[in-house]
Amino acid sequence: MKGMKADIKKPKHMKQFILKIFTSILVLSSGMYVQAQQPNQVFKAAGSPVNPKVTVTWNRYYDHAGISEICKKIAAAYPDLAKLQSIGKSYEGRDLWCLTITDFKKGNADTKPGMYIDGNIHSNEIQGAEFALYTAWYLTESFGDTKFIQELLEDKVFYIVPTINPDARDSYMHKPNTGSSPRSGVIPVDNDGDGLVNEDSYDDINKDGHITMMRRKNPNGRWKVDPKDPRNMIQVGPDEKGDYELLGIEGIDNDGDGRVNEDGYTFEYDPNRDWGWGWQPNYIQNGAYKYPFSLPENRAVMEFVMKHPNIAAAQSFHNAGGMILRGPGGQEDVGTYNAQDIAVYDAIAKKGEELIPGYKYLVVYKDLYSAYGGELDWFYAGRGIYTYSNELWTPFLMYMRDATRDPFDNASFSFDRYLLFQDAFVPWAEYDHPQYGKIEVGGMKKNFGRAHPGFLLESDAHRNMAFSIYHGFHTPKLEVFEITEKDLGDGLKEVTAVITNSRLMPTHSSQDVKNKIERPDYITLTTSGKIISGMVVENRDLNLSTEQEQNPATIEVANIPGLGSVTVKWIVQGGGKYTVSVDSKKGGTVSASK
Amino acid sequence: MRKFMMTTLVCWAAASVYAQDYSNAAEQANRLNALNKAYPQLTTLKSVTKTNGGKDIWLLTIGTGKTETKPAIAVIGGVEGNHLLGTELAIGFAEQLLKGAASDSIRALLNKTTYYVFPNMSPDAMEQYFSKLRADRTGNATSTDDDRDGKQNEDGWDDLDGNGKITFLRVESLTGDYKLHPDDARVLIKADFSKGEKGKYKLLTEGIDNDKDGDFNEDGEGGIAFNKNLTYNHKTFAAGAGEFPASEKETRAMLDFLYDAFNVYAVVSFGTHNNLSSPIAYNPQAAAQRIVAGLLEPDAKVNSMVSDLYNKVTAAKDAPRSTSAGGDVLAWGYFHYGRYSFSTPGWWVPKAKPDTAKKEKAFTVEDPIANYLRWAAQQGISNTFTEWKTIQHPDFPGQKVEVGGIDPYVLNNPPYKMVEPVVKKHTEFLVKLAAQQPEIDIINLKTEKLANGLTRISLEVVNKGGMSTHSKLGERNYFLKKVKVALQTNGKQEVIGGKKIHLLNSIDANGASSFSWVVKGTGKLTIEAGCPTAGIKTMEVNL
Repeated sequence: MKGMKADIKKPKHMKQFILKIFTSILVLSSGMYVQAQQPNQVFKAAGSPVNPKVTVTWNRYYDHAGISEICKKIAAAYPDLAKLQSIGKSYEGRDLWCLTITDFKKGNADTKPGMYIDGNIHSNEIQGAEFALYTAWYLTESFGDTKFIQELLEDKVFYIVPTINPDARDSYMHKPNTGSSPRSGVIPVDNDGDGLVNEDSYDDINKDGHITMMRRKNPNGRWKVDPKDPRNMIQVGPDEKGDYELLGIEGIDNDGDGRVNEDGYTFEYDPNRDWGWGWQPNYIQNGAYKYPFSLPENRAVMEFVMKHPNIAAAQSFHNAGGMILRGPGGQEDVGTYNAQDIAVYDAIAKKGEELIPGYKYLVVYKDLYSAYGGELDWFYAGRGIYTYSNELWTPFLMYMRDATRDPFDNASFSFDRYLLFQDAFVPWAEYDHPQYGKIEVGGMKKNFGRAHPGFLLESDAHRNMAFSIYHGFHTPKLEVFEITEKDLGDGLKEVTAVITNSRLMPTHSSQDVKNKIERPDYITLTTSGKIISGMVVENRDLNLSTEQEQNPATIEVANIPGLGSVTVKWIVQGGGKYTVSVDSKKGGTVSASK
Repeated sequence: MRKFMMTTLVCWAAASVYAQDYSNAAEQANRLNALNKAYPQLTTLKSVTKTNGGKDIWLLTIGTGKTETKPAIAVIGGVEGNHLLGTELAIGFAEQLLKGAASDSIRALLNKTTYYVFPNMSPDAMEQYFSKLRADRTGNATSTDDDRDGKQNEDGWDDLDGNGKITFLRVESLTGDYKLHPDDARVLIKADFSKGEKGKYKLLTEGIDNDKDGDFNEDGEGGIAFNKNLTYNHKTFAAGAGEFPASEKETRAMLDFLYDAFNVYAVVSFGTHNNLSSPIAYNPQAAAQRIVAGLLEPDAKVNSMVSDLYNKVTAAKDAPRSTSAGGDVLAWGYFHYGRYSFSTPGWWVPKAKPDTAKKEKAFTVEDPIANYLRWAAQQGISNTFTEWKTIQHPDFPGQKVEVGGIDPYVLNNPPYKMVEPVVKKHTEFLVKLAAQQPEIDIINLKTEKLANGLTRISLEVVNKGGMSTHSKLGERNYFLKKVKVALQTNGKQEVIGGKKIHLLNSIDANGASSFSWVVKGTGKLTIEAGCPTAGIKTMEVNL
């Protein structure tokens, strides 16, 4: 690996830089020096916090240290709305930060229906972290002004883990990379099976921190410079002569095996093939590591989810392509998604298509590719949690019309030229290559093509957050809608309770019901009288019910359907005052008395 | 030192002479420690993790020198917690092998082969045998909700007759699906409704329906079973399998070690599954599936060859058939680990011949328990069957309920006095298996001077072993290293022709591959050929 020296300096420099920014933010938010931040000088734009306690610039990206700082500031600024914890450590020992966002003054956070959000599982897919963090920031900063958010945080809890791959996030930012590398974490792997590890990685020949392309002048080459934009290379036609050959991605054959860049830190494994549902080994599913949750970051998430059975909904942020994805990831799992669950998925995702222009609702295995052991598959099929993966950024956002993701497409070049002023491109320049001789290096920078350009970052973060809020809003909301007493004579009373769920999601997805993933919901009658019998009422009008012989005070129901209700009843001897309490892992707890 | 050695050896020998029964976890640890003390040059012993029950998972490495550079066999016992013999075979193998360590043949073997012995993967469950209540248990100490009703361990066994064993209940019932065995009324067999037979009994394990849910003993102590917890075809949500594959510490500790042990070419496990008495047949459809479900053809041939070896060595017949239920170590070893994978129970109840003196006749219905009882009687084994005795059972008021039946453990674990010959045969098998291991060599090395300072070097890399360097499936797996043939030059030479580094997927048994280079310069250079599963050979060439 050449070019390490320059890279080692960079992170340190970067850290100092970020530290400086934070110091100035502190100064800014205290309003001491900069007049424009004083409350009487700003005017609220609709839907955005006007004078946030935590000032974050949302048109750039943050490394792990930067994210940590923002998380800590949010938690410090809003102790009643945000708590920060580390849910585990990455392979290199970085904290996996989780912000729990809810109204801690109302109810018990961990029994409210929960929405889990993470980003950046693929380390080069960086903006997921900012999108997740924006959600935490927005919810806390808007709480004071926005009744909807107040009600939302009274009912729900959001668990937000901005990056679940912090090691390689930093590697992406601070080491030479392409826009697509590293996708992996940083546990070293011998990609080519030669017994050596990471012996032939990319080489940053021009030492600019970006891994771009190599081309060489060649009278027999099949490429030429694009006359419309000299930065672009195009293939020549069959009767045309070219003047360049493309030599692939910036690098040299470090180990002398006749191959270039075949074993580096950029692709060790795929963290999104490491989850405990439908997992397959690497020869079937490229990218799989040793066994499900063999990567420490995913293991930490799994353990957190297992400890928080109140999580009913989840979102993971990827890039790119503008997609709202649901499972299944593998054809074999088509049967796990039945019509009821698909109806919930469809309703929420179709709203998402509306909220996020340019994004399409798709199904992984049939619209994208088959992938085993993905995160969303484990969340849904393994834990019964309604989960989407959003592929953030779409070239649509460049000109608000369909475009392609192809970096050699002229839309990218013209967008870079007229809107980014050629900041996204490394101009071709000549270098000496130890194997290829005189070559030229140049091409799109790693921060273009997959990551949002700065000025589009905040708006797309906001739209995706709105989708997550809609998703979280539709976790179950239970209510003891009715308690009715009927005299049966002989000192016996029949007490009927109706429990409603006013949101789209049931307390148990059908995958959950089928496999009994989570325990039933408990509906308990407390009364001074003696409970003789308890039953689930299937049809109140026609008087159909099923008795629960054991422990009749607490009726167990397998599910409380979305936009629906369940009815239960008890036969009680004596007593008068009745309290009905519902205890549902994903639906929360409610009670009412009569 | 010598005196110390002698004492430990004597102590150990004495212990093995006087052992009357299988070893519990503490005794297993003592035996492993004694071996490690007696053979410090040939063994290392470490605990790779502790289970949720606080028991060590031991790994005994047997070999010489740099053990990680020698092709290795992983030997795994205690695959099922009720299979005491499996652990006994693994520890007994180590003891027997090391007892012969002074002999030339074993010394030569340990110079080129490493054994990684995991004697007991189910120590939590196995301890049940040594507890006050003997019951058939495979689950570890992880607390689980086996019937997924939201409550943990609410309906376990109950020793209704107080004999310290969990046997069976038979309940007289018109809707029963069992009837008495026509030749042995102690034994219940399934009534064949398709032949118009009628059942008379319900057969249950001994206990009460503690939680009144209609099921008996469906959620007692005993969590995850190791042999259901591995990654191939894992039955997520099934009782004992775990919420996802490799959920348990002991499973992960073994996988973590083995995935980094690139030198392992074969896994031999002792458990209910058996592909040694009869090999798994090649099934082209299963082998061609995207999620590979059958042995690839060359690997089926190796299975067949090793099965022949096993049968020749053990001379054991009439093995019961076994099928993989998912999440098991046999399937994992091949399908996910990519190694040659073998498993055997090591012992099963021999077919008992009718005792003509007692006027016995051949059974009209074959049944393993009836066969066991006949065999046990012939062997003078007593006290392994509890005669049926009527009891009052709270869940069956007014019905005739009897407790009795065969003891746990006896069908798959021989009486301890019969263990030693089984251990010896399996030790011999594991030694002979190593004789088939892939082994790389460099032959026919030639140097030809072409012109001024220009030399052509040519050679053949061969596999002298009885198995390919990689299973065919393993060639696809990146937890196996490729066969590397590398020419290492120093500053005085330059490679003019040929590739400095060749990577090959495998070299077949008795197969060869030719290489040549044209080199300019003089002096010494090195050629290295091999891979961890077949050993690495180096040769120096002087130009």
